[in-house]
Amino acid sequence: MTGSGVRLVLMQEFRMRVRTGRWQWLLGSWTAVVWIFTGLLYVVLAEDRYNDDPVGIPLFGGLMLFVLGLVLLVSPAITAQSINGDRERGTLATLQATLLTPTDIVVGKLLAGWSVGLVALATTLPAVAWTVTEGVTVLRAVVTLVVVALLIGVVCAVSLGLSAMLPRSITSTLLSYVFVFAIGIGSPILFGLSSAVLATNTGPTRDDLVWWMLAPNPFVVLADSAPQLPPKRDPYSGRMIPQPNDPLGELGREVRDVRRPPGYQRSYPERLDYPNDHPVWPLGLAFNLAMGAGALVIARERLRSPAHTLPLGTRIA
Amino acid sequence: MDGDYGIVARGVCRSFGRVDALRGIDLTAPYGQVTALVGPNGAGKTTLMLILATLLAPDRGEVRVGGIDPVTDPVGVRRQTGWMPDAFGLYDRLTVVEYLEFFARAYRLDRARTARRVAEILAATRLVEYAHRSVHVLSRGQKQRLALGRALLHEPRVVLLDEPASGLDPHSRIELRDGLRGLAAAGVAVLVSSHILAELEEIADRIVFVSAGQTAGEYEVGDLANARPMPWRVRATDPAALSLALVDYGIGGMAPNESGVVLPPMLEEQAADLLAALVSAGVRVVAFGPVGGHLESAYLALTGDQR
Repeated sequence: MTGSGVRLVLMQEFRMRVRTGRWQWLLGSWTAVVWIFTGLLYVVLAEDRYNDDPVGIPLFGGLMLFVLGLVLLVSPAITAQSINGDRERGTLATLQATLLTPTDIVVGKLLAGWSVGLVALATTLPAVAWTVTEGVTVLRAVVTLVVVALLIGVVCAVSLGLSAMLPRSITSTLLSYVFVFAIGIGSPILFGLSSAVLATNTGPTRDDLVWWMLAPNPFVVLADSAPQLPPKRDPYSGRMIPQPNDPLGELGREVRDVRRPPGYQRSYPERLDYPNDHPVWPLGLAFNLAMGAGALVIARERLRSPAHTLPLGTRIA
Repeated sequence: MDGDYGIVARGVCRSFGRVDALRGIDLTAPYGQVTALVGPNGAGKTTLMLILATLLAPDRGEVRVGGIDPVTDPVGVRRQTGWMPDAFGLYDRLTVVEYLEFFARAYRLDRARTARRVAEILAATRLVEYAHRSVHVLSRGQKQRLALGRALLHEPRVVLLDEPASGLDPHSRIELRDGLRGLAAAGVAVLVSSHILAELEEIADRIVFVSAGQTAGEYEVGDLANARPMPWRVRATDPAALSLALVDYGIGGMAPNESGVVLPPMLEEQAADLLAALVSAGVRVVAFGPVGGHLESAYLALTGDQR
């Protein structure tokens, strides 16, 4: 890998994407959707507040989960055709015959696609900044944004790997969406069904055996990795309780509860040990990063030439 | 090994699944000459080009491009090899200059050399006035010239051109011919595959026939003419006088038509004797030449059994 090679491919891809047009419209509608969602959620939360909790906390949590959902929907489309599409257009082979290394090409294409996703994420920054003034800690905002950025990179990398493995761009796009579906929706479905199967035998629920099925879920990773907010005193009972009305914190506590062995008391005071408990997100994030890294390694191998084996149905040029 | 040869391939085999694309092909391409790779569709020409261009590994056999093994040192080969594929895409969104500059950088030319080479290629491909136009406005011939220019950016010593003349109008073909002759004169080893045999006869110094993944014959173009007898065609202003003269010569009985009389197969010396006899007999000959060209008849003879 060479810095200049990566930069050359990155700039080339970026230039092509910018000139392929309509990105202004895409980015504009993206920003509009994010702000409409934020505005509506703010109105709902401001009306519905039952106490003086800062509105920024549920607003931020809701916004980030929504943005994560949106980027998962968009990211596969960014890179799922970047290698086999070049092959179909007949521009890949001439690139491979230059002095650019396979790693230059793969990393350059990944960074180009990833940066498109990051630009989309960046358009949500003003909304995020607003929630920070409304009670979200800077640490939580930064960590959450970094995790979303990493997950965008993972989806881009997996899609890029699929586009290198499969000859047809339509198949790689479809499978990229299948991957997003599998981690986004398949993982909780699998967990729910497995949990139900285990629970049919009389006895305690054994979610602790299948909790890992939830780990790859991007929403779980996002929520569980968000630094917890300081507990507060319940004005009615006088006990310390976790920050209420916190979607990220609540989802994180839920998935950590699932890990606990049977017979564990699930009551509010115990939940205060949340930060020291067994987090789920390291496994989930590691899984996702490993998928992305593996896809990049495969993509690089596929671009290595002279090629000994070709994927079925592939022509070099 | 083989210091005078830009390309040496010996016993190169390559299969795709159960399809044997190359079954022991042999080929040499000397520096300073244009070597033509000729054969029917599916004979393995493109597969061989891909192996020489370091994109495909051979299953067996020995390959040297510029003296370097493309399997063990593909980068070394790429530095000194220019390749223009059969079917290629250009980056439609780029201007001509941007396209050339991108590849100049991909070949790691420094800034000064990039500027010099891009200017030279623009002039050589007569695309100066299109320099800042988008690539997609170019005509087919212009795109072909741009692709050829791209392959020559890094001043390669070995040039591989896969069907460079396909889709070109006669004018562009003449330009291509002159361009390739110019490269050879500058000492480059040029390997060009084509179906257009009449053109190759003028472009190439050497012809390598391939058929069903094997070398069917390797000839100097000059030798090809006398490799085997071939039919000749003669036309005169007075067909009747021509017929009489032919009967006198002992080869009568051929029916003349609009384009003349087709004579039985002869070698060049025999044909020259006949022409001299016809002229001295007072026949006003206006056309006399091999039917279809040497290359075509050699091609048909060498590859005919494959159809």
